[in-house]
Amino acid sequence: MKIRNNGLKSMIVLVLALMLVVTGCSQPGSNASTSNGGNTNNSDQSVSNVVAGLDSSAVGFIFVGTKDDYGYNQAAYLGSVAVEEAYPDLKVIRAENVPESAEAERVMEQMIQEGAKIIFPTSYGHLEPALNVAKRHPDVLFYHQGGLKTAENLGTYFGTIWEPVYLAGVAAGKMSETGKLGFIVSVPIPQVLLNINAFTLGAQSVNPEITTNVVFTGSWCDPGQQANAANSLIDAGADLLTLHQDCMKTVVETAERSGIMTVGYHADANELAPNGWVTGSEWNWGDLFVDMVKVGTEGQFKGSKYDGKYRGTLADEVVKLSTFGANVPAEVQQYVEEQKAGLLDGTLNPFAGPINDQSGSVRIEVDQVLSVEDLESTNYLVEGVIGTIPQ
Amino acid sequence: MIADILTGAIRSGTSVMIASQGELISERAGVINLGTEGSMLCGALGGFAVTVWTGNPWIGTLAGGVCGLLISLIHAFLVLSCGANQLATGLTIMFFGMGITAFFGKNFVSQQIVGFNPVPIPYLSDIPFIGKILFNHDPLTYLSLLLVPLLWYVIFRTRLGVILRAAGEREEVLFASGINPKLVRYLAVLAGGFLAGIGGAQLSVAYTHSWVENMVAGRGVVAVALVIFASWKPLKAMIGAYLFGAAQALQLTVQQQGLAISPYFLFMVPYVLTLVALLIVERRKQSQTPEALGKVLAGSG
Amino acid sequence: MSIAATITKDNKSFLARNQSWMIQSAAIIAPFIVFGIFLTFYKVNPIELYWSMVQTTFGNLYGLGEVLLKATPFILTGLAAALPAKAGLVNVGGEGQLAIGALFATWFAVFYLDTMPAMIGIPIMLLAGACGGAVWAGLVAVLKVKGKLNETITSVLLNYVAVFIVGFFVHGMLKDPNSFNWPFSPEIANTLRLPIINGTRLHVGFIVAIVLAIIVWFVLTKTRLGFKIRVLGSNRLAAERAGFQINKMYFWVLIAAGALAGIAGMIEIAGIEGRLRASVGTNFGYLGFLAAMMAWNHPIRLMASAFLLGMISVAGNKLEIFSGLPSSSVNILMALVLFFILGSGKLVKK
Repeated sequence: MKIRNNGLKSMIVLVLALMLVVTGCSQPGSNASTSNGGNTNNSDQSVSNVVAGLDSSAVGFIFVGTKDDYGYNQAAYLGSVAVEEAYPDLKVIRAENVPESAEAERVMEQMIQEGAKIIFPTSYGHLEPALNVAKRHPDVLFYHQGGLKTAENLGTYFGTIWEPVYLAGVAAGKMSETGKLGFIVSVPIPQVLLNINAFTLGAQSVNPEITTNVVFTGSWCDPGQQANAANSLIDAGADLLTLHQDCMKTVVETAERSGIMTVGYHADANELAPNGWVTGSEWNWGDLFVDMVKVGTEGQFKGSKYDGKYRGTLADEVVKLSTFGANVPAEVQQYVEEQKAGLLDGTLNPFAGPINDQSGSVRIEVDQVLSVEDLESTNYLVEGVIGTIPQ
Repeated sequence: MIADILTGAIRSGTSVMIASQGELISERAGVINLGTEGSMLCGALGGFAVTVWTGNPWIGTLAGGVCGLLISLIHAFLVLSCGANQLATGLTIMFFGMGITAFFGKNFVSQQIVGFNPVPIPYLSDIPFIGKILFNHDPLTYLSLLLVPLLWYVIFRTRLGVILRAAGEREEVLFASGINPKLVRYLAVLAGGFLAGIGGAQLSVAYTHSWVENMVAGRGVVAVALVIFASWKPLKAMIGAYLFGAAQALQLTVQQQGLAISPYFLFMVPYVLTLVALLIVERRKQSQTPEALGKVLAGSG
Repeated sequence: MSIAATITKDNKSFLARNQSWMIQSAAIIAPFIVFGIFLTFYKVNPIELYWSMVQTTFGNLYGLGEVLLKATPFILTGLAAALPAKAGLVNVGGEGQLAIGALFATWFAVFYLDTMPAMIGIPIMLLAGACGGAVWAGLVAVLKVKGKLNETITSVLLNYVAVFIVGFFVHGMLKDPNSFNWPFSPEIANTLRLPIINGTRLHVGFIVAIVLAIIVWFVLTKTRLGFKIRVLGSNRLAAERAGFQINKMYFWVLIAAGALAGIAGMIEIAGIEGRLRASVGTNFGYLGFLAAMMAWNHPIRLMASAFLLGMISVAGNKLEIFSGLPSSSVNILMALVLFFILGSGKLVKK
């Protein structure tokens, strides 16, 4: 017992000492506050004379998953590799599996301590933490992927991925025999709903009777759940699966083994499904990232096209259609290419009204022109989609 | 539709089922192993990795089992030889499994394997309704269906089973007959780890053909809960595992019907069901808890 | 096992008391050596890494703040395990109790406390969090007392149910209307955020955790109630004979434990996150349980073990940024530390 008491006493002393240190340093205006972090008031004053991103010695990339998931994170990772190759002098710092919570703030702070003045938080859910860190560090430039909010030193970039998704939907509509498509998604954010709609509208453009069964798994990459969802959709009669998940290997392979077709998302998985691969939508971040880093390190962010919401398009080749599978007939390929040409020259508008939602009410009127903002705040599913948005 | 749900129940319940049979052996000998989750993760990665290297899913699965066994050896050593708290050690094994598989699994995420595929059993799979539910699965699933009666037979009808149960109930008897109860417990924990590893390998090598960090996602913890739900009976543990699988399949089917039930309520179903079942059968079961295990659960182990 | 245990105890009783301290220190140092050897195989210099760990922690206020920030919930969920352990109960439900505490706290913050001044709003929010955790632990308690269900298993199962309940609310009633369907709650009012210490992200929740740990320690060691709890934990039979109302004690101890974990949930929301997500506090409950184990359920030592776990968690990202190893590999280090402590437990405990 005696030892324990000794231990106890020393513990109490330690704790008290700690508290003393902490409270001592919490006096306003103490030196410590300027060492790191700083508070909001400081940063507001200094915004005017700080150029975000200038002379960065390192670039930080934050991924929500692992870099080789055949998906979202792999695409972003390839972008970071392009930056590494284009700027051998810049240190590229990466952190994988960073959760979409305040935890991400700490990772970004650590990257800043390592000298990063340009940071790419690449997941939608990293936006709020990035905004918080951006407020604390006006000299650091943030390029957030897919965000809908911006700040003085935080711009967002994304691609109009619904264009290739629509084209893939056209191909799916041509290929499907049962007229039942399956779509595996995680949570009903606008990006996801927009893709489901674009895909379905594409398929309906060649087969008006076609339906899309949607299944929400609640997670971005859980192979067990994905296999359950894929099997469930196949059992329900779908002969083509597509998805909006961060990883897609399990779904593509499960479909292939069941002898049905797949349309991919994020990356080309043609090799995973030599029989059933139709096509897919992909990101091509490399050139964009390199240019964004260039603009940032030169201190040209303010007033550049990346200051605000930048959206790369099919025409910019930021998003693209994957290769076609071996079993896709030439006439289908050609038809899709024609549609693509239509998208590029503006004669084809995937979201031309009238478009009804699931309940039958008109969501897009005839001749209504939608802005990118309108599309990116989609909160409904179009007619022909089966499945409800989880409330 | 009912056939679909039942098929789905077996498909998504099998990995949990195999692991719960393993945990059952361990608990019968008086050792609870919350590290089953860690064993499953190691089995999933080990099975996947060895399948990549050898191209043979059978060798891979076996290796997965061995990986699960090795991890459970730590549990056995700490609990049985060092007298550490079983629950704390089990939780630690869970974290250890997460860490070590994240570390070594990094390079396997993008690998491809030729794993197990569903093999319809000729003639039997043509039987309407039942054929689809029972006779169109991967080989590991068939084996797991054989495992349950085998385990039941061993536990309740053989001398080995008597020894196993004695280790969990009356270790004096074992001492008297010259058998070291510690050794029996060691072997039971290792057998449990082996089966948990196989369960994990089923998930990676047979069901999903992929490895992703933390892919077991709580199935190991469910397996442990199921054993208690099943009052340490193999057949009931199997039913429990399939019930868990059925709930997962059901929520997907419900979604496709376009019904507006929150999937989160359906996600809860297996756990709530387990609790309710526990409550109902509790009185009958009090006497069935292996005595040594009862001590652990009461906090004095 | 009991026979084996007695034998071990007798063998070890001659161990000099100083020696037990040496064993303890060795148990802390050994895992770092093992992990270091492991790292050298992957071309990471362990000494550099550990030095940077120490530097991050003690080198500047920001780093220390990060570690203390991480340790705060571990202290509270650790107490939620340690207090019942003293009464002979095994509460592994800190995870779920924290989640429901966070849910209650956010619910109150979003719907009722929006315009309240901090002086009123924060205490109410704290109370709401405590209530949430208590309700969730109350389920375990009722099942234990009325249903005679073992609290270990029910608390583990309820962890999962709790996470899905939080998921249900952030996808539904508590979803931020401006979040474009992203499943999280609206941000709580700025007035409800816990005051932070300049130059760090550390908030006063840390002080709350320490004060609560000291209170729990005081109650357990210096009061009659604490004495009764310890009697119940060490010898239930004696407690029965002494006429304790055992069920009532079990019930209230679990409620108190839940409240502590619930406060951890509230602190996560008001201190760091600012809004509720389905993943709030993932693993904090389990890590707290382990921290309590490392401290042999002693509330004061718990602060040290929580601090150590916090240090290791923070080191994870450092490890990844430095060496490209996955950040989760620090789970290996954490587990090694625990293995050694658990393994050496019998040598020093008595």
